[in-house]
Amino acid sequence: MTLTGIRRLSALAGLSALQVTQALGQASVEGKVQLPKSPQAPVMNKRYGIVSYNGVLSPYPPRAVVYLDGAFPRPESPPAATMVQKDLTFVPSVLPVQVGTRVAFPNLDDTYHNIFSYSPAKRFDLGRYRSDERPIPSVLFDVVGMVTVRCDIHEHMRAIILVLDTPHFALTDTEGAYRLDSLPTGHFVLRVWLDSRTTLERPVDLTAAALRADFP
Amino acid sequence: MDSFRTKLLVAMMLVVSIVAVAVLLFAQRNMARNVRLDFQREFQDELSALHAVQAVRHAALAERCRELARRPRIHAALEDGALDLLYPSARDELHDVMESDDSAVREPGAYTLRARYYRFLDSRGRVIAPPDASDVGELKPAEESQLSVGRLPDRPQTGYILRNAGTTSERVDEVIAMPIVSTENGETIAAIVVGFKPPSLGGGDADAWVQGGVWMGGHLDLRALSAESRAELAGQLGRAVAASGGDEGGFEFHGSDGPLLVSFKRLNPGSLFPPAYEVSVFPLAASISRERRLVWEFVAAGVLLLSGAFVASGFLSRRLSEPVERLAVDSEENREQRHRAEAALATTSQDLQRSARFSADASHQLKTPVTVLRAGLEGLLAGETLGPEARQEVSELVHQTFRLATVIDDLLLLSRMDAGRLQIQFSRLNLSPLLEALLDDLGALPDIFDLEIDADIPPELWITGEKRFAELILQNLLENARKYNHTGGKVQISATEQGDWAVVTIGNTGPAIPESSQAHIFERFHRGVVGENVPGHGIGLNLARELARLHGGDLRLSRSDGDWTEFELRFRLARGTGGGP
Repeated sequence: MTLTGIRRLSALAGLSALQVTQALGQASVEGKVQLPKSPQAPVMNKRYGIVSYNGVLSPYPPRAVVYLDGAFPRPESPPAATMVQKDLTFVPSVLPVQVGTRVAFPNLDDTYHNIFSYSPAKRFDLGRYRSDERPIPSVLFDVVGMVTVRCDIHEHMRAIILVLDTPHFALTDTEGAYRLDSLPTGHFVLRVWLDSRTTLERPVDLTAAALRADFP
Repeated sequence: MDSFRTKLLVAMMLVVSIVAVAVLLFAQRNMARNVRLDFQREFQDELSALHAVQAVRHAALAERCRELARRPRIHAALEDGALDLLYPSARDELHDVMESDDSAVREPGAYTLRARYYRFLDSRGRVIAPPDASDVGELKPAEESQLSVGRLPDRPQTGYILRNAGTTSERVDEVIAMPIVSTENGETIAAIVVGFKPPSLGGGDADAWVQGGVWMGGHLDLRALSAESRAELAGQLGRAVAASGGDEGGFEFHGSDGPLLVSFKRLNPGSLFPPAYEVSVFPLAASISRERRLVWEFVAAGVLLLSGAFVASGFLSRRLSEPVERLAVDSEENREQRHRAEAALATTSQDLQRSARFSADASHQLKTPVTVLRAGLEGLLAGETLGPEARQEVSELVHQTFRLATVIDDLLLLSRMDAGRLQIQFSRLNLSPLLEALLDDLGALPDIFDLEIDADIPPELWITGEKRFAELILQNLLENARKYNHTGGKVQISATEQGDWAVVTIGNTGPAIPESSQAHIFERFHRGVVGENVPGHGIGLNLARELARLHGGDLRLSRSDGDWTEFELRFRLARGTGGGP
């Protein structure tokens, strides 16, 4: 799959969340997040065709997840998301989902994958399967938290599924720019997830006017 | 002569023995060194080969650990907050790595590549306690604490831990600590420590040539040695390690198990774990027995060589001594002949001396009575008592006393010459007037033969000599020329210079000297056969020649045939033509 294809897929994943929240309000936030420097030198691994350093996968530049914290009604029907395995990587590498979302893990490679997670928010093990596995194995993420997804066969494959208690979230672009639309007005806390150990937050008063919020 | 052969034999044997012993000693020393070097080289080769095997094994073990440290489930358990799943996951992952009883039986070769136990270290380097020790290999608390290195290693570390300390089954295990690096941010978050059976030289086979073990902190794990030797060697190793300062060394160890060549080498240089040393021992007994055998071989070779040399020397000395012995016999004969000759010579010399002394004594003893006799006879002549006939006879007797006195004088002179006591007082002497005077005297004598005297004498003829002896020679010759003549005969005298010589020839008519006698006329007391009726005593010519020769000249018979006899007298010419003496 080409890079364009991957972008389209990630856009799809974000869009489904946005569609739910669109009707709720007209407030919007945009800004820029200072992204952490990639700890790895982007070296192409010949065997896998991906960038690996010390066993750490970094197929793409880091991106942050910006989300609006607060109590929001759960969606009636569980939203769905997809994280594919393509070219021995997870796409996208960071996937924010609203709690209750079922994420499908289609295998687009010619080889076996074994998706599992030991994260307390969701422990699962899908076992080995190939691209012809039907139905496509999926996992329901019903606990808020960060889930690290790995492949038991390919040690470098690693992805994050961020299970959020909010429908209002967005993935920054590689420059750190983000935009959240259709937000409810009122007093909220805007959070930015950078990595497993770093979450930034700032209170925001959302009005009809567009708000600018940069981190930090 | 046997003593010569014995001496030769002994000398040869001595030389051969010294050379042989020196050569053998040198060769033996050389061989012994070579044997030892060979042993050490073999030892080193063996060690190198074993080290190569161990390096491969270690690389294989390290790769296993590295593989383990990358297992996604272990990463997940450590990174994703699931420590409860750590050891259960590891158990699955390490299932084929861990030792099990049946696998050891099935494939003994792979046994050494299997792990005995493993533990994880947390981010501070402490051991993460396993929920069930039976799954991860049992360790005593003291042993488990040795796995912790205080901080997390950033590189793989090799260490050695002491098991069952203080018991008879005390041993050392090898552990490899492999850092586990976060897949998220590249930081070292944990480590896995896997314990293996330590590398062992000789494979634990007690008969193996080289035995190996591990020394660590005063403890020596070397199964091939007795406990006593082990303890002793452990202590010595401690001192050697401290003294070496480096990572390797060696020494010779003399323990209760016999002499050993010991070599030690740091197993884990630069490791966070306490230093441990690989100890290789090589029994020198084999080497020593080889050296001893070599010495005996050399001794045997030496004995063989020396006995061979003895035989050869005996043969050679016999061969060599034969001509020498012959030579010795010859020289003995020569010596005897010489002795005889010398004795004869001595006798002759004594006889000569005795005769010379005798003639001198006789001369003196005889001169006195002759003088007395002559005085008595002259007294008679002076008296009036004698008749004319008696007077004639007495007068003849007086004449005979003069002859006798002359003979005595000649004998005296000869005896002096024989004794070597006659010294010629050389001076320049003009021979011409001397000859003239003698010729005058000759002419004055009563001439019974009516001789014709023909003289050809230069006015001056200077020679070196003493006057009275030159006169005596010439007088003798002239007298002979007159005596051995015949009536109407002739005497011819000529004197000339010929080169360095003054040559005087005196010839006379008369019967020739027979050829058989010519060679003997100059001998003492020889008288010519012709002269039976001629007065003479046979010493004149002898005396003349002796005197001429004393003067550096000579006298010889130049001619005697028919009616002519001629003598040639030579004197040395005086240099220069100065005046008289």
